[in-house]
Amino acid sequence: MRPLDVMWVGLGGGAGSLLRWWIGRVVGERYHGGFPLATFLINVSGAFVIGYLSVLFSVDWRDRYGSVLNAGVLTGILGGYTTFSSMQLDAAKLEDAGRGKMAVGYLLLSTAAGLIAAALGAALARLQG
Amino acid sequence: MINLVILVFIGGAIGAMAREFLMLGVPNLSDGFPMAILVANIVAAFLLGLVTGLHKRRVVSDDVNTMVGTGVMGGLSTFSSFVYGSVVLMTASASGAAVAILYVLISLVLGYGAVRLGIKLGERGAPAKG
Repeated sequence: MRPLDVMWVGLGGGAGSLLRWWIGRVVGERYHGGFPLATFLINVSGAFVIGYLSVLFSVDWRDRYGSVLNAGVLTGILGGYTTFSSMQLDAAKLEDAGRGKMAVGYLLLSTAAGLIAAALGAALARLQG
Repeated sequence: MINLVILVFIGGAIGAMAREFLMLGVPNLSDGFPMAILVANIVAAFLLGLVTGLHKRRVVSDDVNTMVGTGVMGGLSTFSSFVYGSVVLMTASASGAAVAILYVLISLVLGYGAVRLGIKLGERGAPAKG
């Protein structure tokens, strides 16, 4: 790995995190229900894009650096944009609010929707050849 | 506002670079199990819980909470690689599918346990402080 890769990962990770933070604010202003909608939308959309771009540019999912696309976009932007830790924190907060069932449902729904979105993204890229 | 933008950006950059180094240092298992991403996600979940607990007690400020919680831990953990890696494993072979299902379940259970433990320790205070 070259220093340039580290720089791309850092820049992408910063940009992706900002985008996540901004979407979280925008969704939070408009949606006031109990479901952690912002994190859900962020994670599922990020899953779709990583599946799409990985297949479109024939990137092995284990290759994390070596090009601007790998390092900056896939590892950086999408890794910074989506979040696993906030999803778990959302679930813990739901449980604390006495919504244990919704917490479990949220984790399972996020994961199932994320898997489907990643597979759909990959399928779309394959269709386009 | 502009301060928050800088905090989130720098935090996310640090988190993503830490994840990259973790991926270089932690090898994936021979059966394709994505150990590095699992480690990054579990560590991030624990530390996010810890920061949240400390923030609740006002041990850390709003700014630190935003930079570390939203920025660093969001950058360190990743959902996109978590699910995409699972999809690739699932579609590769029958044994890959079994590994993927195990990976997803372990990630969810350990991740939840980690954030819970972090919150508990953070709300109670670090053991060193009593």
